Amino acid sequence: MPLLDILPQLIVNGLIAGSIYALAASGFSLIYYVVKFQYFSHGAIMSIGAYLFFTFMNLMGLNYILAGILTVIGCVIATLLSNWLLYLPLRKRKATPAIILIASIVLLIFSSSLMLAFFGSSTKAISLAKHNKTFDFGIFTITLVQTAIIVSALILFLFLWIILKKTKLGKSMRALADNKDVAQVVGINPEKIYNYTFIIAAVLGAFGGILLGLEQNLYPRMGVPIIIKGFISSVVGGLGSVPGSIIGGLFIGLAENVGVLYLPTGYKDVISFSVLLLFLLFRPQGILGVKMRNV
Amino acid sequence: MYEYLIAVFAYIFIYIILVVSLNLAFGFTGLVNLGHMAFFGVGAYASALLTLHGIPWYIALPASGLIAGSFGAVIAAITVRLKGDYFQIVALGLAFIAIAVSRNWISLTRGALGLPGIPDIIKNNFYYMLFLFAVALLSVVFLYWLTNSETGKIFQAIRDDETAAAVLGKNTYLYKVLSITISTFFAGIAGSLFAHYISFIDPTIFDLEFFVIILAMLIVGGLASISGSILGVTVISLLLSAISFVFTNISPELIGAMRQMLLMLILLLILIYRPRGMFGKVDV
Repeated sequence: MPLLDILPQLIVNGLIAGSIYALAASGFSLIYYVVKFQYFSHGAIMSIGAYLFFTFMNLMGLNYILAGILTVIGCVIATLLSNWLLYLPLRKRKATPAIILIASIVLLIFSSSLMLAFFGSSTKAISLAKHNKTFDFGIFTITLVQTAIIVSALILFLFLWIILKKTKLGKSMRALADNKDVAQVVGINPEKIYNYTFIIAAVLGAFGGILLGLEQNLYPRMGVPIIIKGFISSVVGGLGSVPGSIIGGLFIGLAENVGVLYLPTGYKDVISFSVLLLFLLFRPQGILGVKMRNV
Repeated sequence: MYEYLIAVFAYIFIYIILVVSLNLAFGFTGLVNLGHMAFFGVGAYASALLTLHGIPWYIALPASGLIAGSFGAVIAAITVRLKGDYFQIVALGLAFIAIAVSRNWISLTRGALGLPGIPDIIKNNFYYMLFLFAVALLSVVFLYWLTNSETGKIFQAIRDDETAAAVLGKNTYLYKVLSITISTFFAGIAGSLFAHYISFIDPTIFDLEFFVIILAMLIVGGLASISGSILGVTVISLLLSAISFVFTNISPELIGAMRQMLLMLILLLILIYRPRGMFGKVDV
């Protein structure tokens, strides 16, 4: 079979992976844009989302809509707690963004050992088999779950775009991102807006975690590799740009999967890391050309 | 018990070199090098590969320091000139790239299988521990001298106010590259000593889980304080070994998780409530 015949399938696979990467990247990037630090604990929220959904669906036998709602609520609570107990005190004592970044990595590792303590090291799978079926389009196949992954990611990005561009909240967030002092002068309360921003990131993380859990197995440190991909996607798309991070996520997902045409499948990581290296060296401002912030 | 204590101290001496060298860049010069473990790993892999190919350790040990240090110099030369987050982002990106290279360059590193059978420098563990003590002592004395020298003063001036240091006519770019180069040289030396001690290395050496332990030692001890780093390494190492000793009836998996949670919790509390750690000269 000529290699190009599998290209449509590879593009579909790339979009599936890319949607999940983009969810990791958009939460990471949203916090970087508004709250100004590299938000690695977004990976923790995604793994908590996956494990909560697994608990509600498989262990408690709830239906998937109820399980999904409870998972989002759980992730929002966990995210707000992380802001109030960790990031807020650090902001109050004027810690540098580098220190807040370290705290977020520490929280990520903390949560992976928490998952290990609760669920053990064996991998878990969310079984949706009875809801799943496969569509065959001739040039490619896709399962119902995979279609749901792409569609729900797109819906989330649409909502994110509407919030950022069309609402008063989005306007405040952008004002805060551009210049905190000026924003405060015109009566924006930063901490209030930060809370809303964390809630939006939590929703992205909850869905990102659920979708990741549907696409692969669950294991305690699953939050680490996915947020590394989110970080790479954000840098490639343009760090600090939310639309850029979504483009970056889709780009990395596609590059990894279409790259299989030329390289063995084990080299997926090499592709994304090589893309990262090329961007860091030659285009640090990313695809969308965001200027490096001076912090 | 005796063997166990020797192992605890062997690790303490290796980590002292690693943490004090990280402190040179992070604490004294204000360069948050989140890719420090990449240089430790490069040193470990370099030394392992050289000795596995028949090169004696007394060449491989300094060579791994030089290889890690040259990598550090090149990365620093490219990145520290640019303003803002750039150095930090590249350093972190580098750590992730190191994972991918060590996992996937199978013909060189055997990928996830790792490199077994790295030859000992000294067969007897007790004498090797003494050797590690000597190397750690030499490194600490050198770094202590460096940080108290004219150069060390300039490093700290750059950390406190780079513009002022530049106005006084100091080439801050060169000093930052120098700081990273020396720091990563010692990270490479520590990596080499580590590889020869445990005789097996694999890509997990680059993992964030390992790096946060090193960060905990640095931050608990305190930034810009060499005695703080030594104490930080000792306290954390003894604490972690004590946990394994006390809870012998719990599965090793759960103990690992508990140790990690406890350590991360301590680190977060220090970050929030005691940013100077035990002996730090500046806030983290």
